Amino acid sequence: MTYTIASSKLGVIGEPFIPADGINVAALLEGGFIVEQSTPKPKKPAKTSTDTNEEI
Amino acid sequence: MATSTYLSNPLVTVNAVDLTDQCSSANLTRVIEALESTSFGLTARVYVGGLENSTLTLTMYNSFAASETYATLKALVGTTTTVTIKPTSAATSATNPISSLVGCYLETLPIVNAALGALDTIDIVLTGGVYSVAIA
Repeated sequence: MTYTIASSKLGVIGEPFIPADGINVAALLEGGFIVEQSTPKPKKPAKTSTDTNEEI
Repeated sequence: MATSTYLSNPLVTVNAVDLTDQCSSANLTRVIEALESTSFGLTARVYVGGLENSTLTLTMYNSFAASETYATLKALVGTTTTVTIKPTSAATSATNPISSLVGCYLETLPIVNAALGALDTIDIVLTGGVYSVAIA
């Protein structure tokens, strides 16, 4: 999970926020100081039909 | 010659939020609890150092505006956080060291301290945590 600064009290707005040791991230989120950005999921590979039935 | 530092322009952060412009007083005291180890045969009490239990007391103007005092502190009550303070807002150095309490606990948060004709100010006390000081 990544965070972006949303208040100039915390740093430059729009810059990524990397919490230091001991920082209460939940409180920053609740106070609107940072916003959460979900990391983009990697694209799923294209489905290919493979015949897995092996004839004995 | 007096060489004490007076805090005309210190930097105070609570949970990484710069609250310098809402703070009028800061008192950081490093405490290491004294454990008595006096034994028979001694004629005076002696102590050894125990757990560290430092405290930081901040006097703050109570602002309910966005990104100000209340927004910073409201979710910290009953939790731990990190606070930093240094004498001036200039770069950290040997003459402008930054002190930190990492993992200090905020037990109480006054919500309103109102008096007619006066600004609403609150005192908060952050207790415990690991004290450190950096000069770079």
